[in-house]
This record gives sequence, structure tokens and C-alpha cells, in this order.
Amino acid sequence: MPDQLLAELREALGPKSVSFGGAAQLLYSRDSSVFPGGQPGPVCFPETTEQVVACVQAAVNHNRSFVPRGAGTGLAGGAIPCDDPVMIVTTRMNKILEVDKQKQFAWVEPGVINLDLSRYLLGTGLHFAPDPSSQQSCTIGGNVANNSGGPHCLAYGVTSAHILAVEVVLPDASVAVFGDPEGPAGGYDLRGAFVGGEGTLGVATRVAVRLTPDPPAVRTMLLDYQDVGTAADTVSAIIGAGIVPAAIEMMDQKVIEVVEKFIKVGYPQDAAAVLIVEVDGLIDGVEHEVERITEIALACGTRTVRVAADEEERARIWKGRKNAFGAIAQVKPGYYLHDTVIPRTKLTEVINKVYETAERYDLLVMNVFHAGDGNLHPLLIFDPQEEGIMDRVLAAGEEIVQTSLDAGGVLSGEHGIGLEKRRFMDRLFSENDLDAQAKLRHTFDPDERANPHKVLPGGSSCAEINHMDKPPEGTWV
Amino acid sequence: MNLPLGLDPDELAVCVSCGLCLPHCPTYRVSLDERYSPRGRINLMRAVEEGTLTMDQEWFDSLDTCIQCLGCETACPSGVKYGSLISGTKTAMAQQRTPGHKLRAGLWVLKHPRLLVWGSRAMAVVQRLGLLSRNSSLWPKKIPLRRPKSTATATGEVVLFTGCVMDTWMPEVHRAAEKVLQASGTAVMLSGTATGCCGALHEHAGLTDQAQQRAQRVMDSLPGEHPILVDAAGCGAALKNYGHLLGTEQAQEFAERVFDVQEWLAKHPERLAKIPLKETQRPPVIVQDPCHLRHAQQCHEAVRVVLAPVAELVELDDEGLCCGAGGSFSLVHPELAQGVRERKMEAIARAGNHEVVSANPGCALHLGAAGAKVRHPLELLAEAIVDPQEPGT
Ligand SMILES: Cc1cc2nc3c(=O)[nH]c(=O)nc-3n(C[C@H](O)[C@H](O)[C@H](O)COP(=O)(O)OP(=O)(O)OC[C@H]3O[C@@H](n4cnc5c(N)ncnc54)[C@H](O)[C@@H]3O)c2cc1C
Ligand code: SF4
Ligand code: SF4
Repeated sequence: MPDQLLAELREALGPKSVSFGGAAQLLYSRDSSVFPGGQPGPVCFPETTEQVVACVQAAVNHNRSFVPRGAGTGLAGGAIPCDDPVMIVTTRMNKILEVDKQKQFAWVEPGVINLDLSRYLLGTGLHFAPDPSSQQSCTIGGNVANNSGGPHCLAYGVTSAHILAVEVVLPDASVAVFGDPEGPAGGYDLRGAFVGGEGTLGVATRVAVRLTPDPPAVRTMLLDYQDVGTAADTVSAIIGAGIVPAAIEMMDQKVIEVVEKFIKVGYPQDAAAVLIVEVDGLIDGVEHEVERITEIALACGTRTVRVAADEEERARIWKGRKNAFGAIAQVKPGYYLHDTVIPRTKLTEVINKVYETAERYDLLVMNVFHAGDGNLHPLLIFDPQEEGIMDRVLAAGEEIVQTSLDAGGVLSGEHGIGLEKRRFMDRLFSENDLDAQAKLRHTFDPDERANPHKVLPGGSSCAEINHMDKPPEGTWV
Repeated sequence: MNLPLGLDPDELAVCVSCGLCLPHCPTYRVSLDERYSPRGRINLMRAVEEGTLTMDQEWFDSLDTCIQCLGCETACPSGVKYGSLISGTKTAMAQQRTPGHKLRAGLWVLKHPRLLVWGSRAMAVVQRLGLLSRNSSLWPKKIPLRRPKSTATATGEVVLFTGCVMDTWMPEVHRAAEKVLQASGTAVMLSGTATGCCGALHEHAGLTDQAQQRAQRVMDSLPGEHPILVDAAGCGAALKNYGHLLGTEQAQEFAERVFDVQEWLAKHPERLAKIPLKETQRPPVIVQDPCHLRHAQQCHEAVRVVLAPVAELVELDDEGLCCGAGGSFSLVHPELAQGVRERKMEAIARAGNHEVVSANPGCALHLGAAGAKVRHPLELLAEAIVDPQEPGT
């Protein structure tokens, strides 16, 4: 009874907070991922935990599924609706509820934008460490659900290390709090289980995030190379020397070129690759690390080492890096992105294989990634209009994933499994592993009501979405 | 094949739906709904071109509410030309239905300068009788009864573009511009009534034919090679866009000699240095970048160059998010416009609630109606000029 479902939702949330019509259905059918849209049911914009409960309860009453959604910047199709679910959009739950400077945590609503939280904290001497490149747009709820990473997670750890507690509306519409901002309370760590759950275990409605003290000093270095292998060797050498920089990012020549067009950073245009290395800590320690990294880098064959002179230059270097994905569309309108993590020692070997694979399939590949933790983001670039291109892209993508797994890597560093990588799950996990995961999920959600068909492999009414022979124009494919 | 909106498919394809523009869109910031976001609007354009959606009420609503501030274009790393997409879409929209009667009446008046002058005088009287609000986004708190006398000359090195409403409602800004330019050793002449309105609002409303007619008339009335200086960011952006609007070589050449006054001064440091300034520093001022200066003309830094010697400048922390004035937007969508304005007022409060400078009269009126004290940067500069009759300051 769609009319009754709608009426119930409108009654609970108010008519302006529930949309059901062509435009809303279309726009909430997709996220930033490769996939053409699914089919959403009513699109709800709750503003309180009670309203989220009402959305889930309405879904239960009418035997519908539901899908939590933040800003829709996910790259793995996690927020794509399958089977007309109630869409629970958290963007209007965007209040920062409480900041405890002493105990260094904050309670926030899930729709708070990652960068808005950092801006809000400016001047307190504290910040929220996970900084995905999409941080200007993505929500804390999405970060929690995807256990997102970012350049600075090398030293500080990914989202999970920064989530102290979550209030969750469970798939049966009850409300529970996992974890405690004041410290582990004993018992099972359900907070840990929920983080990275990609919306399949319930809806996060309040999140207690750990706040990290701002480092007293930061230095950002730009290293440039005449070949990618030397850059990769430098990464290993730095970390091998026992230094853990706050971030080490790599961009190859093609990426440098497009980024420079968007924002004039002054990246060397003739370099085959650049590394952005950032160190932070006490001022003396930082200066010492800059010296040591410079020595190591030059010994490895780095062409030049540049240290950002001031905050403005540092901001520009990072702005370039953080806009790299988007800027790539200047080359060709479609791209397909992987997110595997490989042992750092295999960096040179795997990167070379990635270039080789792309060449064999006659595709352009660009690399921009978190080199410090071996989290690759090879982007295959192509024009979706080209005849038969999708077969080549998918085959090359699959080969890249296999290369990473063969090197002892894993499927996803930070973007999540979503719809996209479900089909690879059984390559990484044994049947028993997957079974245990399925049991956990069913304990939370016996009816598979929460974000169905995501993460775990299996039959799916979203199969047609997963089939990418003909992507719509302008997708990230 | 004729597509419903007639947009360039290659331009549409550039958007990869990454969502990095979302927080830079004022209407998304307020609504937090994809339907009022750049990514959403682009996908809605696509859907109509592909035939998967029709231009229904909901569709119009999403596109109508776009302020055309171009915040998204500046933010987009893929280089989506949003301005071009939305103006094409607006043209198609205007062909589908006639604009509302209020907007139509307003646009008609703009084309008739005499009527504007007389209408304004009438409004000024009515306002003084207490029958017309002093807190509107659309007209000044005090509509002038008479215009102060211009000091411009019949011939000059540069032309000051005087436009339509501004000349009648905020003539003091033009006088300030004249004073500043003359103090820099630059002889100024005025564009005059034959030139009239720049057509920006017509273009925004999708009335491309009328905008083109306006543009042709403006160009014909201003032959020669003199630089054309503009002190209203909205008009400046429109004049600079004539090349694109008309697609002729004449229009392209014309557009190339259009400058914002501040931009021109910043490009001529030797003239800027000639302006004799008083020693006294005034209280700090907050710089508000009009979208038409920051996102469309991308010369907002010039305001800082020009004002730096005069006052301590305080920046807003909202990365140039639109204030919601946006041409006729505040007239057509008061609710959303108010929400957008509230954000700007909060940013102004965070920056210390000082006096605000804005190089666009639309923004000044819109923010002024919410209680902010807003003036044109050139007014501040003009005030700081040493008065020749007052020696020894
Ligand atoms: C240009 C670009 C750069 C990116 N860079 C990075 C990067 O550096 N590192 C990185 O890790 N990721 C990156 N991403 C991916 C993406 O931004 C992150 O995964 C982000 O955390 C998603 O947040 P969101 O609010 O957009 O979530 P959405 O896309 O809306 O949702 C993502 C998933 O979270 C679930 N979800 C959302 N909110 C809730 C909630 N309140 N409760 C339960 N489940 C919820 C959804 O169901 C879905 O499964 C990038 C994406 C883009 C487009
Ligand atoms: S307009 Fe640009 S920034 Fe916005 S979604 Fe499209 S590509 Fe991304
Ligand atoms: S022009 Fe302004 S209002 Fe319109 S979509 Fe872009 S940012 Fe939003």
C-alpha cells in the first residue's frame, strides 16, 4: 500500500519532509558510484531520532526495506536503493550537539558534513582526524558506515579509531547505543561491529567522535620523480627508517596535469610522479623529520624536495590532491576506480602491473593514492560512448583487483564494498568467514530490511544494476 | 535531433556526479535536498534531454530555485560549465511558459529609463509618506528624490557604465566611482540614458531574445575603444558575457574592454597610487564577495587591493557562498532566499558584525533589508580621499 506508507510517513515527519515524485525518485536513485540508478520508495528527511524510528517503523509495518543515505558521495553504490526502499536521508540531522574539550570528544548528528565539523572546531585546538578527499561534502554518518579513510589516516588511523559511541535505530525500529565516549564499557564491542556496516545494521542517529589535539607544528613536503618506481621505493624507505609521517600521497603524471589545470598548485609538470609527505608533531621533532626524509628521499633518487613555505602553500598542495578525482573528468567523462590495499613492500611491483594491464587493454590509467598505507586508487579512464568499451574496462578492473589480491592485498581500503565489490568477496574470504559475517548481519537484521543486497555476495533483485554493460552518461564508471 | 533543452551533450557529460559542489550551493545548504543542488539540477537537465522525465511542476521548481550564483562552477574540479547549462535551460523554460506577471512588469520597466526615473520619484514620495517598506530587498531604505550631480565630463579616457535601476536608486555609488577615478587621474564620461539596462535580469529569466536586444543596444551606444568600467558586479558580469550571448566578433571585442572598476584600478597600480588618501584609518570592514564578482568575473581580489590602504579588511568564513539576492531570485523565491540570507548574516556575525562592503547593489539591498550596514567599496574609498578644500589632513 504505497499510499498508506506515504501517508504514515508524512504524518510522522510532516509533508515537507517526505518526497515522492519524478525528480526526487531520480536523484535519490544514485550516489557517486559507477552504477546507474536503482528504484527508491519515498524519500524522507528526518530531523530527529524519533523521526528515524518512525521511518523504520513505517518500513516494518509495510514490509519494506530502508536505506540510510548521507551526502551520496559513496563510490561503491552503498546508498543505491534496491526494491523501493524507504530512503532515510540524514542530511537535515546536521547539528553538533556537544563538544567536550576536556575529555576530547563530541556528540554529533550523522548528517554533519565532515569538513563542517573541522571548521566548527577551529580554535579549540582539537579536530576530527579522518579526512576523506570528499570531506567537504560527505557526512559523518557516511564516514562511520563506510569506515572511511583519508590521507591523514596513515598516522591517525581510519574512522573506526575515532568513533567512541553510536546511537543506532535498529532494523526493528528499536534504539540502542553502542560504546561509550568515556571509555570502553566492557561486553561485546558492538560499536566496532557497527562501524563499517554500510547501513546494513541500522541507522546511526548520533555519533560520539574522538577529537584529536591539533599538532603544534606541521610541515608539508612535495617530492618529485622521473619515474613512478623511485617514488614507490622512497615511500618504503621512509617508513622502513621508522618514520611514520602524518600522510604520504602519490600522484602520477597524468593526475598532476589535470589537477594543475583546476588549481595552480605549482606541481612540476614534467615529473612522472610526485609524493606529498606531511609530518607533524612538536616543532623540533618536525624539523628533524623533514631533514631525515629529505636525506632519505635524495638518496633514493628524488629529483627535488620542496617544503611548503606557509599555510597558504600547504593548503594549495592539499586542495590539489583532494580535488584530483573530480578533476580527472577533464580528460574523459567516464572512469572506473578501484580501492585495493596492498602490502607497501609490493608497491612498485603492483603499480607496474597496473600500468601494464591498462596498456594491454588499450585503456588510460591514472594513479592517485594513499601511498603510505598501500591503498591504491587506480582509475581507468574512458569514454562510455565508445563501442564495446565496458567489456575492456571491466576485464581490466578485474585483473587489477586480482593482481592486488595475489600480492596479499585486500579489496577495499576505505570506499566500502557496497554493491560494487560484493562479487569479489568470495575471492578474499573463505566460506566460513562469509558465513560468520552473514550471521552477524542476521542477528541485527533477520528480515534483511536494512540496505538489502549490499556487502555480502548473494542473489539480488539489484542484479540488473550491478550489470554495467551500458552506463549512463557522466557516471564515475 | 532536437533535444528539449537544446543543451550541448558534451557539456552535460562532464559532470561525474561526485558531489563536491554540494556544500558550495546556497540552495542545497539551506534545503539539504538534492533537488536544490547543482548535481541534482544537472541530472534533472539530463533526464529531460534523455526523455526519462518531463518538465513537470517539480522539475520547474528545482530549476527555478537556482540562483545562478555559479558557486558550483568555481567549486567543480571537473570543469562543468554550469553557467552555460543553466542559461540554456532557462531559455528553454521561458519558452515553455511565460514568467510571472510581477517579474514581467519589473523587466519591462527596466527597459524604459524615463519611466524608471518617474516611477522612482513616485516611490520615493510614497516611501516618505510611510506607505512603502524601508526593509525590502528590492529597493533602498531611502529612495532618492533627486540624483546628486555628476562630475563626469563629456569626453574621457574611460566610460562609467551607469545602467538602469542603480542610476536612479543608488546614484551615490556612481558619484563615488567618478570621484575615485578622477582622483586617480582618469577622466570619466558616463554611458548615459541611450545605453540603458544591461539585460542581466532578462538573461537570468531565460528571456534570451530580449537580453540580446538589450546587449546590442548597449554596444551600439558605446562605440570606440574606451575601457568600459562597471561598478555593479551583476551588470559587469552581464556585459562581459555579451560575447557568449551574441556570439559575434563585435560582442567579443566589446566584452574584452569591460572591467569592474576595482579590477581596472588594481590593474593600474600607478593610477591607484595617485589617489591622495587621508592618514586616518577607519574601523574594520567585512568584505562580502558578490557572486557576480567572485564566481562569474573572478576578480574579487581587486576589492581587497583597492581597499587595503583604507581599512582593516575582515574576511567571511563561508567561502563566498551566495547571499541569496541573485537578480530576481529574492522576488520569486522569498522563503529560500531568506534562508540563504540568514546563513550570510550568521557569517557576518561570526566575523564581528562590522560594516560590510559589497560591490553589487543587489547584495547591498538584500543584506541591508536584513539589518546589515552595507556600502559599496568605492564609497569607502571616495570618503578616504583627501578633500582639496581641506588642506593639511
Ligand atoms: C571525490 C571523492 C573522493 C573520495 N575520497 C575518499 C577518501 O579519500 N577516502 C574514503 O574513505 N572515501 C572517499 N570517498 C568515498 C565517500 O566520500 C565516503 O565513503 C564517504 O564516507 C561517504 O559519505 P556519504 O555521507 O556521502 O555517504 P553515502 O554515500 O550517502 O552513503 C554511504 C554508505 O553509508 C550508509 N550510511 C550513510 N549514512 C548512514 C547512517 N547515518 N547510518 C547508517 N548508514 C549510513 C549508506 O547506506 C551507504 O551504504 C570519496 C568520494 C568522492 C566522490
Ligand atoms: S558539477 Fe562538478 S562538482 Fe558537481 S557533481 Fe558534477 S562534476 Fe562533481
Ligand atoms: S548556480 Fe548557485 S544556486 Fe545554482 S546550482 Fe550552482 S551553486 Fe546552486
